Amino acid sequence: MNLSQFLQTAPVAPDVLAPSLWLIIALPLLGAFICGVFGKMLGRANVNLVACSAVGGAFVLSVLAFWATSDTDPESRRLLSFFVNPFGQERDYVRYALAHDYGTWFAVGDFRVNFGLMVDHLSGTLLLVITGVGFLIHLYSTSYMEHDESYWRYFAYLNLFVAAMLTLVLADNLVLLFVGWEGVGMASYLLIGFWYTDPAKAWAGRKAFVTNRIGDFAFLIATFLMVLLVGAFTEQANERDYTMAGSSSQRYSAALQEKGTVTFLGLQKMAEAIPEGGGGAVVLSTPIAAGPLEGYTFGGVMTAAMLLFLLGAAGKSAQLPLYVWLPDAMAGPTPVSALIHAATMVTAGVYLFSRMSALLVLSPTAMATVAIIGALTSLLAALIAFAQDDIKKVLAYSTVSQLGIMFMGVGMGVFWAAVLHLVTHAFFKACLFLGAGSVMHGNGDETDIKKLGGLRHEMKWTWGTFFVATLAITGIIPLSGFFSKDAIFHGVHHNHLEGLHWVSSAVYYLGLLIAACTAFYMTRVYLLTFEGQRSKEAKLAHAHESAWQMTLPLVVLAVLSVVSAVYAWPLMKAPGDGRPQPVFENFLSPVFASMNRIVATGKTVALDTSVPAMGDYVFAWLVAVSGGALAGFLYLRFFPARAGQPAPAFARAVRRTAQNKFYVDELYELAIIRPVKFMSFILFRVVDALLIDTVAVRGTAWVTARVGSALRYVQSGDAQAYAAVMALALLGGVAYALIQVLQ
Amino acid sequence: MSFFDTHLLNLVVFLPLVFAALVLMLPAGEAGQIRAVTFIAMVVDLVFGVWAYMRFEPGGAEFQLEYRVHWFKEFGLSYHLGVDGLAASLLLLTVFLGPLVVLASTTYISHRIKEFHLALLVLQTTMLGALVSLDVLLFYIFFEAMLIPMYLLVGVWGAEDRQMAAVKFFLYTLVGSLLMLVALIAVYFISSPAGARSFDYSSMYNGLLDANRQLSACTAGPPGACDSLTGLAATLHTYGPWLFGAFALAFAIKVPMWPVHTWLPDAHVQAPVAGSMILAGVMLKMGTFGFWRYAIPFFPVAAQQARPFLATLAVIGIVYGALMCLAQRDIKKLIAYSSVSHLGYCMLGMLAVTAEGATGSAYQMLNHGISTGALFLLFGYLYERRHTRLMADFGGIAKVMPVFTVAFVIITFSSVAVPGTNGFIGEFLVLLGTFKSDLGAAAGNPHLTMVFGAFATLGVILGAAYMLWMVQKVFFGGLTHRENQHLTDMNLREMLTVLPFIILVGVMGLMPQPFLDRIEPSTSRFIARARVGTPGATVETEQVRVEVMGLPAQPTAAAPSVPAPLAARAVPSPRP
Repeated sequence: MNLSQFLQTAPVAPDVLAPSLWLIIALPLLGAFICGVFGKMLGRANVNLVACSAVGGAFVLSVLAFWATSDTDPESRRLLSFFVNPFGQERDYVRYALAHDYGTWFAVGDFRVNFGLMVDHLSGTLLLVITGVGFLIHLYSTSYMEHDESYWRYFAYLNLFVAAMLTLVLADNLVLLFVGWEGVGMASYLLIGFWYTDPAKAWAGRKAFVTNRIGDFAFLIATFLMVLLVGAFTEQANERDYTMAGSSSQRYSAALQEKGTVTFLGLQKMAEAIPEGGGGAVVLSTPIAAGPLEGYTFGGVMTAAMLLFLLGAAGKSAQLPLYVWLPDAMAGPTPVSALIHAATMVTAGVYLFSRMSALLVLSPTAMATVAIIGALTSLLAALIAFAQDDIKKVLAYSTVSQLGIMFMGVGMGVFWAAVLHLVTHAFFKACLFLGAGSVMHGNGDETDIKKLGGLRHEMKWTWGTFFVATLAITGIIPLSGFFSKDAIFHGVHHNHLEGLHWVSSAVYYLGLLIAACTAFYMTRVYLLTFEGQRSKEAKLAHAHESAWQMTLPLVVLAVLSVVSAVYAWPLMKAPGDGRPQPVFENFLSPVFASMNRIVATGKTVALDTSVPAMGDYVFAWLVAVSGGALAGFLYLRFFPARAGQPAPAFARAVRRTAQNKFYVDELYELAIIRPVKFMSFILFRVVDALLIDTVAVRGTAWVTARVGSALRYVQSGDAQAYAAVMALALLGGVAYALIQVLQ
Repeated sequence: MSFFDTHLLNLVVFLPLVFAALVLMLPAGEAGQIRAVTFIAMVVDLVFGVWAYMRFEPGGAEFQLEYRVHWFKEFGLSYHLGVDGLAASLLLLTVFLGPLVVLASTTYISHRIKEFHLALLVLQTTMLGALVSLDVLLFYIFFEAMLIPMYLLVGVWGAEDRQMAAVKFFLYTLVGSLLMLVALIAVYFISSPAGARSFDYSSMYNGLLDANRQLSACTAGPPGACDSLTGLAATLHTYGPWLFGAFALAFAIKVPMWPVHTWLPDAHVQAPVAGSMILAGVMLKMGTFGFWRYAIPFFPVAAQQARPFLATLAVIGIVYGALMCLAQRDIKKLIAYSSVSHLGYCMLGMLAVTAEGATGSAYQMLNHGISTGALFLLFGYLYERRHTRLMADFGGIAKVMPVFTVAFVIITFSSVAVPGTNGFIGEFLVLLGTFKSDLGAAAGNPHLTMVFGAFATLGVILGAAYMLWMVQKVFFGGLTHRENQHLTDMNLREMLTVLPFIILVGVMGLMPQPFLDRIEPSTSRFIARARVGTPGATVETEQVRVEVMGLPAQPTAAAPSVPAPLAARAVPSPRP
């Protein structure tokens, strides 16, 4: 049995495994419950065991699920892992995937959400990353948190996070995905503010949650637009539309009834039916006939929804304009930064767009926006990272920057490369963060790289793994980061968005600049932390190497960041014409098949499938090396030689601006937070307290009381006065009557 | 139908009153016995209430567990009880809160214990009565009677400014409901010809139905088409908006909608924990319930015209209430203003008149009762320990009260509608319903729907901002105040009181369908009835007619359907 056959023979058959998919989520959830409720009683060792084994168990199940997605019959070579697409025709199979529907979550009117889970190659890959890296980080945490008295709370939150993240990737519909989406935000809030006695940390947690909520606001509206769009589609589509998508109106509406309105499979089918040039009744330029969206075109609404999803993704994945929470999120324990704010949660936006690739490619405008936002975020973060002295802050901005690169890939249609970069980034960035954690652990929680230095000899394992990971993120051959980043840049350069050709080159050249910047700031961090002499301001005279629980994950992650390069190599043959195709592109092709069909019909994007040539590789390598070399020159030769001399004024000003993050936080404070607070204060004082309560409400009471007390004087009790009034009134009445009569 | 079935609602409603009589007989000094008896009353009531809820069949008749007997038949009044899906759900919420309110007040209330528990029991009866009444006058009586025990709760057992708050609460709500009484009597007179007049919900609704349909048909026609209407339809055309206005004002004050909400913060801040819980949990829902059951179905055309206006007020309420929260220093006031925001969602969902919106609105009523009720409960425990409501007096409480903090944070997540908690289902459905609705079209431009929806969705951000801000101020940071360093965590009783709320947060978040199934039939009928007002609506009379049980036959001669004119009556001469 050769390797390929081994990988395609699952130990547990897909149809056996599918009904048990819920266990992948339930195990960490159970772990969270046990650690949270009984953790204090169980003691440290038991909590460590429970938390690690919960995630470890989820990892084993994830491996089985991942394996099952490629299950083929060993003899006949027939694929065993497929299920009937409920939205397609009877013989329309979703291949390389398993799914199970656990029934209704809620259903009202014609809207329905089911507890449906699905594993395909995309979510399977993410399952492995989440549970695998998650397990390593749990293991690391057992040592990192060994002196913390709230260890049980920590592990409960961490397990909760893993459960939420797994829900996010396993969900087969938008609403269930949103459960994971907000669930990870909640866990992140709890973990950033883990050391809540420090107000700054509690504040950072709140900032993260509220910023994410701004994204979720957009996410919700986008979801509602999708519901409206599906409604309009089923109203207006004719049989030809459905045929184009490989479906029929009956099957489609039956599946909507049964599976829910916003399942990814259903949305995908709709997307396949509406590209321009399809010839059905509904194409992108068809106006919607009725309802709140009356008059807008399908394409226009789709673009709006995708842009709103982009804002949602920007919240979770720390992109412009909502990236500001991520650097502050470094207030949490370092393993949390590694797991949540580098490897998994922040990549949710990339996952979301990959999952909805079929919808995204319908709108070149939205794609261009995604790519440009990614590129700008990436560049901005890289520039800020230049001037940060906190090792975790540098890594945080680096994460923002790398996520920007993934968004560039997603925006330009190289989904597979973006996902690959997500995976390799998870390895090397987790390794970097954990390395930083190890550095902090061994140096009395020192995070200022200016006060470290020379650790190369004192923390050998940490140094070695950090070095490897730095090379990987910098993009040095033959590490994974080079290939995944280059795959994105290659795709960005050669793919073209319909009507927006300039975006390709603009984003590509920005990308090269970003690559050079990345090399620069990463080399800087590395040199200042590990090379040179130990700083005189160091807290401890000698650093100590960390325990095996911490170094082992480092080594595993470093090894992974080397070997995962394999996935970018063109070792496979493309199904159609037999061209060489990168392993990962081949592997993910069933996930993006629908997207490819839409692109072929709608011509919204010109996708390039060529493989980078040797010249491209050399060029990309030169860019990275030049950035690194510049940093090396500056920090090994130039600055040490000029030590003691004041820097020129302009350099200091630039540095101060970058150090203060270009004053973006201050801008938001001034432009948004303060006005809202001020407005609420004014509204409360003026409208609520003064106008409504004092003037209107108490005013009514006051007028009533005054009128009452004025009328009190009339009630004198004097019978003669009463008689006089009566007589006068009578007289007046008679006089009036007389005048009327006489006239 | 067994005897038990027919009397189940009577039992649920009057059981607290029966026990109140029992409490009345206990000596005032026996605090323990009084609490125990009240608690038992509430638990037994809970059992029967849950029973009634389970007996309600989602697929059955509109009103179930009906009971009807003659009562002042000269006025067409009958004693008529029955529940639809919404009333059954709110009834469940009311009986659920009952025992917890008693438990929550065990140490909070230290004087006039007997009177306090009497007030609680009477309040329970009046609230349940208002929910199950199918006779509109009976509803009104319960609706008004509710004010008295609540007035006492706030005014006697409240905080420092209790007198002012109680009087404000009482007068404010009374103003609206007296106008409603006038409108109610007017409807009584116009809905049926003399002799057939009745205060029964079915006859009032059915009496107005044909006129409403004519009216809505002519509003679809050219301008001025409605001027040629005759009879009841013409009356409704002229006075319908005023009558609707009177009903709407009464219920809007109760909800409370912006800008008639200012009684709420005062009442909540001054009320004891039991008062706040019941006020937020149940009494505010009487407003939304009133819109759902009476105001909108009785006057669908006027309601349709007022929909954009009311929806605007609801959206303002959502955003404005949330902004108010950001300006508060007083925790109870913050929670009170958050109620304004949450009830805005309930109103918006209802006014959207879509299946999603209305069901979400009803579900949000339950959610708000649970999450805000629990917030007031939890804060009550903190208040008992520290006797201050200012955020600045707390900080770092998590260190000394970890279990309390966990409970509070879970309820906070429910309140800000994190998916997986009950709040999410309600809020999501309301917003979805709003986006699907024709609110924009009713306001003149279909695209305005998006504006309503987007502004309402802003509450998602603001909700997180103010709740987490408060949580941070109270629970996180250093223990800066020395008084806070020795606070004790929740004891067993307090944990047991909070636990049901936390369980419900999870259950209603993950398994909402059993609850939604009972709301659904009410929703579809409500929508059909509200749709009567849409110009050119195609609602069949059979779809919306209210069917209830008839009056039992009298053992003596049945009352003549049309009483003979006075002159024709043989007046027996008093003298031989």
